Amino acid sequence: MADKEEAKKEKFEEETSVSVEEELLLPRDTMLSAGIHIGTRMKTKDMEQFIYRVRPDGLFVLDVKKTDERIRVAAKFLARFEPSRIAAAAARLYAHEPVRKFCESIGATPIVGRFIPGLLSNPLYPNRIEPNVLIVSDPRADSQAIKEAASVGVPVIALCSTDNDFSGVDLVIPTNNKGRRALAVIYWLLARQVLRERGELPPEKDLPLTIEDFEAKISKEEEEG
Amino acid sequence: MTERTATITLVTCTSCGKPILPGSEATKFLCPNCGEILIRRCEKCRKFGRPYKCPKCGFVGP
Repeated sequence: MADKEEAKKEKFEEETSVSVEEELLLPRDTMLSAGIHIGTRMKTKDMEQFIYRVRPDGLFVLDVKKTDERIRVAAKFLARFEPSRIAAAAARLYAHEPVRKFCESIGATPIVGRFIPGLLSNPLYPNRIEPNVLIVSDPRADSQAIKEAASVGVPVIALCSTDNDFSGVDLVIPTNNKGRRALAVIYWLLARQVLRERGELPPEKDLPLTIEDFEAKISKEEEEG
Repeated sequence: MTERTATITLVTCTSCGKPILPGSEATKFLCPNCGEILIRRCEKCRKFGRPYKCPKCGFVGP
C-alpha cells in the first residue's frame, strides 16, 4: 500500500516538474548549468523574496522560476519603448559583450565600460543621451548610471543578485550578475523575449545569435595568466 | 485689487500615496506587467526601494 502511494507521489512530482519545465523560457538544466541561480554569501532584505534556499556552504540560491517570470515582465516592459530610446549600461567586464550583443539585437544604445558622469543628466555634454528606460547589469557597479537615471526620471531595470538592494531600481530581475555564462544567458533570453513581444520573432524561433556569441571572450593570454 | 488664485492637482505616489512635488526625482511608467496603469514613484520610495502594486493586475515591484 505504502509503495503504491509513494509511486503515485513520485509520478505526481515528475508530472509537475515537467509542467514547470515547459513554462520556462529555457530548459531548467541549461539555466542551472549556466549558474543563473547562484547568488552570493550575502543576502539583503530586499532580495529575500527571490531566494530559494541556502546551500550548506553558505551560498544563497535564487529561485529560477521567479527569474523566468521577471524576464518575461521586463521584456513586455521593454517592448513598449522605442528601441533607440532603450539604454543598457555595463560597467562590469563580463557584461560588456552580452550588453553589446543585446543592444545589437534589439536596437538599443549600449553604455559599456566607464559611465561618464553627465551622460544622462548634463545638458551641456555634447554626447548626452536621452533614453526612456535604462537597464543596468549590476546596481552597485552601475551606481552612477542609476543616480543619473533617478535625476532625470528614467525608470531603471536592474539585474540583481542576492547582495544588491533596490535603491533607485524600478524593476528587478533576480539573477547571478557576476558569472560570464549567466550574464550571457540572461541577456540572450531578454533579447529573444523582447523581439518575441514586439512580434519581430515568432514564438518558437530563436535568435540568429547563440548564447556563446553573447558570452564575454577572454583572450588566451588572460586565461593562461 | 483682485487676488488671483490658482489650484493645481498634484499626482500621488503609487507606493506611499503622498503627493509628488514638481521637480523632484520621481518617475512614472506603465505597469511592467499589464501596461495599462501608470505607476508613479516618488523620490523617497525609489531611494528606499519601497514596493509598488499595480491596482489592476496586482503586480508587485520592484
